[in-house]
Amino acid sequence: MSWFTDRHFFLLAVIFYGFSTVYSILIWRKGFRQDNRVNYLLLFAGFGCHITAMFLRGFSLQSCPVNNIFEATMFFSWAIVTAYLIIGISSRLRFLGAFVSPVVFFVGVFALMPPLDPPHGPKPEFSGAGVSLHAALILQAYGAFGLSAVAALMYLTQVHNLKFHKLRAVVSLLPPIQRLENVTARLLTNGFMLLTLGLVIGAAVLQRPDYNYVSDPKIIWSVLVWAVYLALVVSFWKFSQRGRRFAWSSVAVFAFVLLTFWGTNLLSKLHHP
Amino acid sequence: MSIVVIGLSHRTAPVELRERFAFAEARIPATLQLMRDSQIVDEAVILSTCNRVEIYAATQLEPQKAFAEIHGFLINCQDYRDPLNDEIYKLSEPHSVSHLFKVASGLDSMVLGETEILGQLKVAYDLALKHQHTGARLNKAFQRAFNVAKHIRTDTGIQRGSISVASVGVELAEKIFTKLNDRHVLVIGAGDTSEKAARALLSRGAKSIIVTNRSHDKAVALAADLGGRAIRFDDWTAEFAGVDIAISSTAAPHHILDSAKLAPLMKLRKNRPLLLIDLAVPRDIEPEVNRMENVFLYNVDDLQSIANDYLKARQEEIARCERIIEDKVKGLLSHHRPNASRIAPQTSAHA
Repeated sequence: MSWFTDRHFFLLAVIFYGFSTVYSILIWRKGFRQDNRVNYLLLFAGFGCHITAMFLRGFSLQSCPVNNIFEATMFFSWAIVTAYLIIGISSRLRFLGAFVSPVVFFVGVFALMPPLDPPHGPKPEFSGAGVSLHAALILQAYGAFGLSAVAALMYLTQVHNLKFHKLRAVVSLLPPIQRLENVTARLLTNGFMLLTLGLVIGAAVLQRPDYNYVSDPKIIWSVLVWAVYLALVVSFWKFSQRGRRFAWSSVAVFAFVLLTFWGTNLLSKLHHP
Repeated sequence: MSIVVIGLSHRTAPVELRERFAFAEARIPATLQLMRDSQIVDEAVILSTCNRVEIYAATQLEPQKAFAEIHGFLINCQDYRDPLNDEIYKLSEPHSVSHLFKVASGLDSMVLGETEILGQLKVAYDLALKHQHTGARLNKAFQRAFNVAKHIRTDTGIQRGSISVASVGVELAEKIFTKLNDRHVLVIGAGDTSEKAARALLSRGAKSIIVTNRSHDKAVALAADLGGRAIRFDDWTAEFAGVDIAISSTAAPHHILDSAKLAPLMKLRKNRPLLLIDLAVPRDIEPEVNRMENVFLYNVDDLQSIANDYLKARQEEIARCERIIEDKVKGLLSHHRPNASRIAPQTSAHA
């Protein structure tokens, strides 16, 4: 079985997420009236392969597997699936899988691109508990932002139903929009706190005397993302900026993070020496 | 011994006839005793509701003879002398058992899939059981009917959704607000449907009701009835900042609420979601307000359309329910007569 590597297990997980995505489209088209147990089981099967892949990689490295983009992506999609499987124990919230599976499927497909998982060098420039904590907190923050975007998508779906497809709104299993909006805002706030903590720890442990931090694309990008999320959090809690605009902002900012996270990582000499 | 049913319902008889045949609950035990003493039946249950009067009986007699005897008994018992055509139906096995299961499941009800009839059937059965007018056959049939009703309720969509305008309004509110028990409701115009919708919201826990009407006296009367507060018609916009659900049904010939009027009110409400239910014709609320952020407007056609769609969905489930019932009837009757499914139906006049 030694030929069956951690990447193969992750590939298997992504295949399960793919099946779940197809099933989710059916559920979506039926207005969330279909049984979600199948979807939950598909995501659970994917999770089994996913965690096996992470264990194998972690044991081979003897550290938390967040040392390159493949590992980071694997970690962060794992955070989303884990959160869903816990929430989905309640049958009333199991429909969330219809929104989670496309996200983890596409993120997984992206992570599987070979250039994102280069062989590990003999000695990473930065290592230790502080670096692992920095990476883990930031990835958990992005996991929270991802779930927040998922909740925002559900909110937008249900608002659209309530305004234009009125029967679909009442027969769907989606929670009330007020709760969805609240969940979106709380996940965003929690993610923002984790991101702040992760960045502060990163600034403290990733010290290199000769390095120009101000010109590092990843650092500029991180500060920008932090500022945008700060603006979103403040606009919601302080200025009551609610509704579709807030939900779309949550989705758009997370899409921006998804599309640019890896690119800026590659450009950063600090994160991709 | 076989099970027979004889009776009349909203499907076969008008209310004037049904009320002539209705039994007061206090009279039922004595009537059952009389029927058993006359050797027509061995076991019997009388179900008497506003929509049906039915006698379920287990008898040693041949069905046709039993029908004639019970029919005569019923006519004499209620002292009914006018001519009857097809108003009274008579069902023998397996149709009698199938009918019992359908009644228990709400498939034969005026409001398809309603559950009230199951409670009424249980009361009727308990009454007969308490006075020892049931035996092995009816006990088993009724217990199975209650199980079938539960099965159908959980495994099919026959009871899914609301089929009245008022309860659709409540369902919509539950799709918008996390909880209804901290919601404030404003009723503009003291119409009948808006009163029903307000009552439905109150029954689900709405926190408070404010009523306003051009005739203040009517507002006061309705508010007192609903346990709410009445305000003058000119003052309702002042209360709007605290309102989450507004039900409007005035006789105004023009819109009483439009985007220009609502925009500043929404700011006062800090853009919290607002459900507007416009039951008036002509409409009270400008349709364009539905485009505003966090405003959800439903007019009477929207609500009726949802109720109709639900009804259609329930009707589509009938075939599934009937298949379940058919299997359960076969299962029950096979214990008594292995060839039950081959018995020719002996029925008359069941519309």
